[in-house]
Amino acid sequence: MIESIAKASRSFLEAPRVSRQKKDALFEQACRVALVAQEARSSDKAIDKAVVAERRKLLKAALAMVASGASAEDIEAAMAAQPKAEGGAEGDPGIELERAMVDSGCRALARNEHYSVVMRRMTAFLGPEYFDKAEAWLLERSKRRRGHAESLVVPGELPDVIRILAMDKRNLERAMRASGRDIATAALAGCPQESMDLVRPLYGRVGAAALEDEAAHLRSKLSGDEIAQAQAAFLEVLRNLEERGELRLGPEDELSADPAFVAALTRAVLGLDTAVIKGAFRLAEGALVATAMQGMEPQAHDRILEALSKKEMRRILNAIDDADPLPRHAVQGAGRELAARLFETAAAAKSPRAELERLAVVRDWES
Amino acid sequence: MIQWNADLARRLQCRDEDKKELAPFIKRLMELDRKARNEGFLSLESELASIDDPLLAVGVRLVMEGVSGEALEEILATYLLIEERSGWPFLKSCVTIEGLLALAESDDPALMARKLLPYFGADKALAALEELER
Repeated sequence: MIESIAKASRSFLEAPRVSRQKKDALFEQACRVALVAQEARSSDKAIDKAVVAERRKLLKAALAMVASGASAEDIEAAMAAQPKAEGGAEGDPGIELERAMVDSGCRALARNEHYSVVMRRMTAFLGPEYFDKAEAWLLERSKRRRGHAESLVVPGELPDVIRILAMDKRNLERAMRASGRDIATAALAGCPQESMDLVRPLYGRVGAAALEDEAAHLRSKLSGDEIAQAQAAFLEVLRNLEERGELRLGPEDELSADPAFVAALTRAVLGLDTAVIKGAFRLAEGALVATAMQGMEPQAHDRILEALSKKEMRRILNAIDDADPLPRHAVQGAGRELAARLFETAAAAKSPRAELERLAVVRDWES
Repeated sequence: MIQWNADLARRLQCRDEDKKELAPFIKRLMELDRKARNEGFLSLESELASIDDPLLAVGVRLVMEGVSGEALEEILATYLLIEERSGWPFLKSCVTIEGLLALAESDDPALMARKLLPYFGADKALAALEELER
């Protein structure tokens, strides 16, 4: 039996007897508490301000407890001790429902939970018919959140591990789910934005926004040691999944292109005539070039970019910004394709034989 | 976490005839679990139209959103506790919640089945496991 049900089995609420009007008013209370939860992440005064502004006695009292630093347990005890008839008839289902909602929301607020969880916890008391309304509210709030926070990269293998896991999204998703949201977000707090970008598409819009917010919040709250501990716990979960045969990770060296391939492609690009680069790159798709460039040394990047017009250079740089880090087979595949196109342009321009041979080596590379 | 108490045990009691519905229902939960594991959790979106149980539909959406652990358990329990239920509807809801918690943890479907087995009762559990594994 689920612990929460066992603990609460004697306190069934009679939500169906509560009027729609009262439920709508309670939904608005949930919005107010969730908003405080969101604002409290960035302002120490948010809860104090909410106490002053709140007009419902019960919620005002509970918020005042949170503002004074009361624990979730203290709030639960205080709410349980509230007189039953406060503001209504003895046993009034509307009052009981409000009490339960305020208790749940303010305990979550005291635990500094994410505002989306606060909202889901509170609106659950209103029944499934309020789920979509809560979702619409959360989506609206997530649109207003601030941009990417500063990165705090804790040295370690996790960003590389996430890149490996992302080669098969099922592996990354299984690892994220099995580790649980608390560990996963704390671990991600110490990873570069690239890791978050790989994880975000695994969740819906509300979930992705919550995950990113939470990681950004933990980044400012946890010490480097605490984040490192969370990353170690995440890796431990991975090891357990691997031992149980639930994850099959590819060898680490498949993450990046073969060094010999990188050297060959770099050599071929550095030896090209400017006109050949201009001609071939003008027709090449940005995504192909951006992927192929992951398989070149930086000096080859410089050679390509300095050969292009400003407009072309901007197009390629934008494509590079948009590109995810890709595994070996994708990078080398794009590199071979690009070499084939360069070869055609170079052959048409009657380029020297050595130049063509260097391109042919890359074009015909066997992975 | 198994937490038996006398009131709940009474509330969970239902007719054997109703309990026959449990195995196909658990199989459905295992199917959802399998789909999530194979195709990703967001693939469950396509299943929502065919889910007519509001608790299961809301739970699947919460899991897709990434809510897990204690928060998921308490939210789902709240949905259950806002209405007084007993017998088969209560049993089915408890199984739904336990199944959703397993889904959120990305449990293997076989592990999910074993977590839900106690709801059949000790005398029927083995036969039920055979049926679930068929």
